[in-house]
Amino acid sequence: MSLDYVKFSPGFDKFMPKEYRDMVEHGPFGKKTTVSQMGSFKEILEEHPMCAGCAMTLFIRLAMISFPNPEDTITVGTAGCGRLAISQAAIPFVYGNYGDQNAVASGLSRGLKLRFGDIPKDVVVMAGDGGMADIGFSMTLHSWFRKERFTTIMLDNEVYGNTGGQESGMTNKGQVLKMAPLGKKFEKMDMIGMAKLAGCAYVATVVPNNPRRVESVIKKAVLIAREIGPTYIQAYTSCNIEYSIPTDKVLEDAKSVETDRYAFSEYVSDEAKEYLATRYGFKEYLPKPAAALPKA
Amino acid sequence: MYLVADIDVDICAATSCKLCTQYCPEANTILYDDNAGKEKGLKYGAAYVAVDRCKGCAQCVWVCDNMAKHHAITMVMIDQLPKAAITDRITYLDQGGTKALAAPVEVA
Ligand SMILES: Cc1ncc(C[n+]2csc(CCOP(=O)(O)OP(=O)(O)O)c2C)c(N)n1
Ligand code: SF4
Ligand code: SF4
Ligand code: SF4
Repeated sequence: MSLDYVKFSPGFDKFMPKEYRDMVEHGPFGKKTTVSQMGSFKEILEEHPMCAGCAMTLFIRLAMISFPNPEDTITVGTAGCGRLAISQAAIPFVYGNYGDQNAVASGLSRGLKLRFGDIPKDVVVMAGDGGMADIGFSMTLHSWFRKERFTTIMLDNEVYGNTGGQESGMTNKGQVLKMAPLGKKFEKMDMIGMAKLAGCAYVATVVPNNPRRVESVIKKAVLIAREIGPTYIQAYTSCNIEYSIPTDKVLEDAKSVETDRYAFSEYVSDEAKEYLATRYGFKEYLPKPAAALPKA
Repeated sequence: MYLVADIDVDICAATSCKLCTQYCPEANTILYDDNAGKEKGLKYGAAYVAVDRCKGCAQCVWVCDNMAKHHAITMVMIDQLPKAAITDRITYLDQGGTKALAAPVEVA
């Protein structure tokens, strides 16, 4: 949890694997790296066993680049596909029982605040729709009602991908899946509406085919969660296996879903806007200059 | 045998779009060499693929064809590549950017 923990102990660097040395010497720690520099620095996400072409993988990759201070970040996850990659990054990852991620993150973020005071230590939950909206639903909502200060990101592939295609609360009505052969009987849950109702200070929907937008959304959510309150991002991250999307059509699918049911949306509370403007210089939230007085 | 992505330096180095580097789902896989094109008298650098990390999804082909509209990427059987970059032979540079020593791929 600091810049020092990634560095080599003196004399040991030559025994470290190349990937590790590259990460220490040319990774994002302590620097401000952005998606526009992708391909030119060593990313902290390493090889992992998620499926070829999975949109969730792309989203996780972008998220890791977007964390404002990767050296001061802890991720929390749960059973499901995403943890296969999130756990393979050079930042600490906490993995609890299925669905308890927001309860674990509550304790963790409170403990870090006790230990480190005002020094920001960012806690980011990333979990699937099943883990978040079904099994972990009460823990997710309660953490929001309690105003726990950390970021929750739903990797919404609209299915239980890791266990072969059961419907989740986030699956669309009527959708037929391998393990939902008659089609889902009720509507997709409105987690965005619930996040706002429960008092999240920042709520956004996003798809991974716009890397700069993913970056902006994640930066804002993590910064706001430091001091203002809970933040929630719901990302469409299709499962090309369960939805039979050819891997070279995954981004085309994301594009068409974005124009249909996953349009970009962003809610920022007034308090969060003021905080982003005054503390971090976000120009878009600076108060508009008073209109010039009409000439007499 | 399996397919991996292969980037045509001549086409890629005529632009500086770098789009595919942001869309490959795998980290540290499509990298950028700022000098690749210049060495051949072309205008810009070029992207290339660390083939040991490529999972063959062809998303980069879609991005280059449909978003960048440059058609620089094709999927090639790995044993048909005369030369390729792998992680062990890639250097990250202090000023940013990377350099690869492309060499024949040994396929067991
Ligand atoms: C208590 C418990 N019940 C069931 C499981 C089995 N399990 C593992 S992953 C998973 C589904 C994950 O689906 P989702 O949360 O939507 O994530 P995805 O894999 O789709 O990303 C289940 C049911 C488990 N690990 N623990
Ligand atoms: S099963 Fe689906 S969500 Fe899971 S890694 Fe494969 S494509 Fe991605
Ligand atoms: S998208 Fe195509 S033209 Fe652009 S950097 Fe990649 S390979 Fe080169
Ligand atoms: S084929 Fe897929 S994994 Fe390979 S370089 Fe292209 S986008 Fe990346």
